[in-house]
Amino acid sequence: MLLRLDDVRRHFGGVHAVDGVSLDVEQGSIQGLIGPNGAGKTTLVNVITGYTRFQSGQAWLESDELSGLPAHRIAGLGIARTFQNIRLFKDLTALENVLIGMHVRRRDDTLAQLGTLPVFRGDEQERIKDAYALLESVGLPSSVGPRHAATLPYGDQRRLEIARALALRPRLLILDEPAAGMNPSEKQGMRELIERLNADGLTILLIDHDMRLVMGVCRRVAVLNFGKKIADGTPKEVSTDPTVIKAYLGTGGEREVRSAPGATGVDEEREVEQAAGSSPAAREPEKAILDVEDLTVSYGAIVAVRGVSFRVAAGEIVALIGANGAGKSTILNTLSGLIRPESGTATFDGLDLANAKASEIVKRGLVQVPEGREILARQSVMENLELATWARRDGATTRRRIEDVLKRFPILGERRDLSAGSLSGGEQQMLAIARGLLARPRLLLLDEPSLGLAPQMVDEVFRAVEEIHKDGTTILLVEQNALRALAIADRAYVIETGRILLSGSGDDLLHNPAVRRAYLGG
Amino acid sequence: MDQQILNAIFIGSIYALFAVGYTLVFGILDILNLAHSAVFMLGAALTYSLVVNHGQPFWIAALLGIAASALMGLVIEHVCLRPLRRRHAPPIAALISTIGLALVIVAAVEQGKSGSLFSWLWVDGANSVAFPAGTVPNPTWHIGDLTLEASKVLIIPISIALMLILGYVMRFTQVGRGLRAVAENPRAARLMGLDVDRMISLTLVISSALGGLAGILFGLALGDISPYIGRDNVEVRGLAVIVLGGMGSIPGAVIGGYLLGLIEILALVTFGSNARGGVAFAALFLMLVLRPQGLFGTRLRERI
Amino acid sequence: MDFFIQLFSDPIGFWNSHTLLISQIGINGIVATSMFLVLYSGQLSLAAPGFMAIGAYTSVLMELYWHTPVVLNVAVAVILAGIVGLLVGLPVLRLRGVFLAIATIGFVEALRLGVILNVPITGEGLGLQHEADPLGGVPIILVSLVMVVFVVWRLTKGRLGSAWSAIRQDEIAALSQGIHVARYKMIAFILSALIASYAGALEAHLNFFVDPGDSQYGVTRAVQILTFAVLGGTGFVIGPVVGALIVTLLPYIFEGAGDYINIIAGIFLIAVIIFRPQGIVGRGGLAIVRPAWWPRSRARAPSPG
Repeated sequence: MLLRLDDVRRHFGGVHAVDGVSLDVEQGSIQGLIGPNGAGKTTLVNVITGYTRFQSGQAWLESDELSGLPAHRIAGLGIARTFQNIRLFKDLTALENVLIGMHVRRRDDTLAQLGTLPVFRGDEQERIKDAYALLESVGLPSSVGPRHAATLPYGDQRRLEIARALALRPRLLILDEPAAGMNPSEKQGMRELIERLNADGLTILLIDHDMRLVMGVCRRVAVLNFGKKIADGTPKEVSTDPTVIKAYLGTGGEREVRSAPGATGVDEEREVEQAAGSSPAAREPEKAILDVEDLTVSYGAIVAVRGVSFRVAAGEIVALIGANGAGKSTILNTLSGLIRPESGTATFDGLDLANAKASEIVKRGLVQVPEGREILARQSVMENLELATWARRDGATTRRRIEDVLKRFPILGERRDLSAGSLSGGEQQMLAIARGLLARPRLLLLDEPSLGLAPQMVDEVFRAVEEIHKDGTTILLVEQNALRALAIADRAYVIETGRILLSGSGDDLLHNPAVRRAYLGG
Repeated sequence: MDQQILNAIFIGSIYALFAVGYTLVFGILDILNLAHSAVFMLGAALTYSLVVNHGQPFWIAALLGIAASALMGLVIEHVCLRPLRRRHAPPIAALISTIGLALVIVAAVEQGKSGSLFSWLWVDGANSVAFPAGTVPNPTWHIGDLTLEASKVLIIPISIALMLILGYVMRFTQVGRGLRAVAENPRAARLMGLDVDRMISLTLVISSALGGLAGILFGLALGDISPYIGRDNVEVRGLAVIVLGGMGSIPGAVIGGYLLGLIEILALVTFGSNARGGVAFAALFLMLVLRPQGLFGTRLRERI
Repeated sequence: MDFFIQLFSDPIGFWNSHTLLISQIGINGIVATSMFLVLYSGQLSLAAPGFMAIGAYTSVLMELYWHTPVVLNVAVAVILAGIVGLLVGLPVLRLRGVFLAIATIGFVEALRLGVILNVPITGEGLGLQHEADPLGGVPIILVSLVMVVFVVWRLTKGRLGSAWSAIRQDEIAALSQGIHVARYKMIAFILSALIASYAGALEAHLNFFVDPGDSQYGVTRAVQILTFAVLGGTGFVIGPVVGALIVTLLPYIFEGAGDYINIIAGIFLIAVIIFRPQGIVGRGGLAIVRPAWWPRSRARAPSPG
C-alpha cells in the first residue's frame, strides 16, 4: 500500500468539504477519484499534499506520516501533483520549468556560484539533459524546451506541468483534472501518456470529471459525494452502482442509464470528428438577427475559435454543444464585447459586435447570462435585479417588470431580501436568468445554465428556458449537457477545438448515432 | 486631557474623511491611489491661493477648490489608470503611476513662486502659510476648561454628514449599487450593461473631491498649508487608517480614522509628543501581522 | 551639457570635481541592488531606508561613543540590520503585494519617527555630527558596488535564484516542487537588509551629518529607491543600478530644467510605467514584480472554453 488515508476530515465553516474519507492506493496502480462538482475531490488533494491542514484523520505515504507536514515537505517526500488550473511558471521557458522541478534533488551551490565565473558547469549539463529526457517522456519534442511556457498550446502546457512534477522523481503522482479542456484526440493522448507512465512503475492518483477517461484508465475508482466516499471498487463495479449513478449521472429524470459510458467513450468522440459533414446540415435561416462570419479569437498564442460561422434567426433556440474547452464560451464572450476577435465579423441587428462597447451591446438587446452565474453575492436578490434594469431603465415600468420576473420565478420572490450569495446553486441560476431577462433581451445568450446543478434544478432551469422562448425571446444556448440542449433546440452546432464540426436541427443531431455515442452516452 | 480628546476627534475626522476616498478607490479598483495625498494638499493650496492671491470669498474659493480636486480625479483616471487598464498592467503599475503624478503635483506647488510658471496656483513656494484671521467667522467658546474653535468643531459634523451621505449613496441608490457591482465583479457588471469605465471615473471624482475637501478643512482648522501637508500628515497615516479599518471598507475607514486619532493622542499624552508618529506605524504594522484584513475587511483566501 | 562635455574631455578633472556625485551614484546603486533582491523573490518590500538608517546610525554612533575602528562599526551595523531584518521579515511573510509594501513602510516610519526622532542618543531631529571618514573614499564605494552586484548576480544563477524565480511567479506551484518558500523569502529579505544597511553605513560617512529627514530614511527615500528599480527594470541584476544611475544624474541631464526637475521626473515615471513597464534594461520587468496573487484580485484568466 503506497498511500493510506484514514478518516480524513476537513471542514470550512459549516461546510464539510471532506467528511471522513478513507482510501488505500496500491503501489503501482492507477487510482481514480471522481465525483460531481463540490464533492470534495480537490480539497482532499489539498489536504494530502499539505496545502490545507488535516482537521482529523491521518495519511501515510508508505511509512511516512503526512498529517501536519507543510506542502513543500510533502513534495520532498515524493508526492508530486498537477493543478486543476495549470500553475506553470509562465515567464520561464519550458525547460526552466522542468529544471525548477529538480530543486529538491539539486545540491546547494551558493558557494560554488560565488567562486566561479559563469562557466558551464558539469552538473548543470546533467540537469539539462535530464530535463530534456523528461520533456520527451511526456511527449514534448525538444524544440519546446526554449519556448516560454505561456506561449505553448493548452495541451502542451498540461503535459509540461506533468513533466515538471515528474522532475521530483515522485513515488506518487497526483493528477488533478489533467484532461480538462481537451478535445477528444488530446484526451486520448493524455490517456496514453498516463498509461505509459504507469507502465514504467509510477503510482498515479487521477482526479477527473470525465467519467469515461477515469473508467478507461484506472484499475480502481473511488467516488466522492458531499465529502463522503460513496463507492470504491473496479470501474465496472462503480459504474453500475445505483448510488453512484444517481448522484453523479442524473442529467434528466427520464433518461434510463443502464451503465455509464464505457472505456470506449473517447473513441466515439473521435468518430464524430470524422463524421463531420456526413449528417445533413439544417438549412441556415435567410434572415438572421445574429450573423457570425469566419470568427477567429485567440488568447495570446492559443487560438480558441477558428473561422466559426453561424446564424441565428429571430425566435429560434440555437444550441452550441461540445466538450469543455471547445471554444463555446469564448464565442459568447466575443459576442458580448468582452473579448475582441482577431478576425471575422459578428453582427447583431446591424450592430458590429466586434467593435462595440459592452454596455452598448447590452443596451441594444444582446444579453448574456454568464457561465458560473456571476451574480453579486454580497447584494440582495432585489438589488441584483434592480441593477439589471440599469441598461434599460424606463421609470415606472421598471418596477412592474421586476414584479413580472418575480412572478415567473416565485422562489426569488420569496428570497428577495436575502443576499444572493446565500441562495442555492439552482436559485442563483434562476436569479442570473431573471437578471438577464430584466435587461429586455432580444437575443439571450445562456452559457452553461445547468452546470453544477442537481438534476431536478436542471429540469426547472430548462423549463424556464422553454417558457422564455415561447414568450418570443431568441436564445443562443451553450451547454455541455447535450441531451437537454438538443431536446429543446431548433437547431444546433457541434463545436470541437474551436471549429464547427456539425450542424443540424435539434432532432437530427439528437438521433445522430455518432453524436449520441460521443455526447449522450449511448 | 479632555482638550486632547477633542483634538483627537478633530484630527480623526480629517483622517476619516481622507481615508474614505482612499478606501473607496481600493475597494472598487484594487488599487492604492497614491496621488490622493497630493490632491489633499492641492485642495488646500488652491483654496488658500484663491482667497489670498485672488481675493475670493472663502466659500467660493472652497467650492472651486473642491471642484478642482474632483477634476484631478479625472486626470488621475485618464492619465494614470486607464492606460494601464487597457494594457492589462498589474496593479503595482498603478501604484507607480500615481506616485509619479503625486510627484508632479507636489513639485508644481513647490515651484509656485511669484513670477514662475505656477504662480497662479501658489506663490509661497515651500513655505507653510495659514488662512488670515477672519477668512471665516471663527467664534471661540469656552466650556469648562475646554476651548472650542468653530472652525475645528465644524469639521466633525461636516465630515460625518459627508460620510453618511456617501454611505447612503452606496447602499441605496442605483449609482451606489453600480459602484458596488463593479467592486465585486467587474465582468458581471459589464454584462449587466454597466459602463465600467464611467463608473471608475465617477469613483475617482468622488474620492478626490473628498480628499480635497479634507485638505481644505485641515488647512482651515489647523492653520498649516504647504506643499508638504499631504506627505507629512496623511500620506502614510491614510494607509494606517485603511489598514486598521479594513481596506475597501468605508465604515472601516471612518472608524479607523477616529481610532488612529485616538491612538495618537493617547500616545502623545502617555509618551510625549515625539511618540505620536511612531505609534501610528507600530499600530499599522501590528494590525497587518495579526489581522491583515483590518477590522472590517474580508478574509482573503487563494483558490488552489 | 557642460556636465557631459567635461565627462568625456577631461575625465580626471571630472572625477575630482564630482567625487560626491560619483559616491552617491555608487551608494544608490548598492541600495538599488538590495531592492532588486526582494523584488526578484516576489516581495514588494519598501524597507530599504529603514535598514539604511540602521547601518548609518549604528556605525556612526559606535564611532562617536566607542571610538572603534570603522570596519568594525560597519560590520556590527550590518549584522544588527540582519537581525532586525529577521525580526521584521518573519511576521510579514504571509503578506503579499501592497500589504507587504504598507507593512514595510510602517516599519520604516515607525523606526524613523518612533525611534530615531525620539531617542536622545541619535540626536533626534538634529541628526548626528561626526567626522566624515570616507572609508578610503570613492574607490571603496565603487568596488563595493561591483562586488555586491557580482554576488547577487551569481546567486540568481544558482539554486537560490531559481527558487526565487519560482516563488516570485507562483508560490503555490513552488511549494509543490518542494521549495521551502518561507525560508527562501527570508533569505532574500535578510540579504537585502544587509546590503541596504551597508549602503547606509557608507553613505553616512560621506558627510559630516546624519540626517533623519524623510528624504533620507523615510517614505520619500523608499519611493526613490523603488523608482530606481522600476526605471531600470528588474529583469536583470544590473537594471536597478542603471535606474539609480539615471535618476541620480537626472538633475545634471536636464540642467536647463532647474527647479522643475521633479515635475519632469514625475512625468517620466508615468511615461515609463505605461509605455515601457519592463524598464530600460528590461525583459518583462514588471511581470517580475507582479505577485501571483493580488489581494482581492478578480482578474480571471480567460479559460479556453
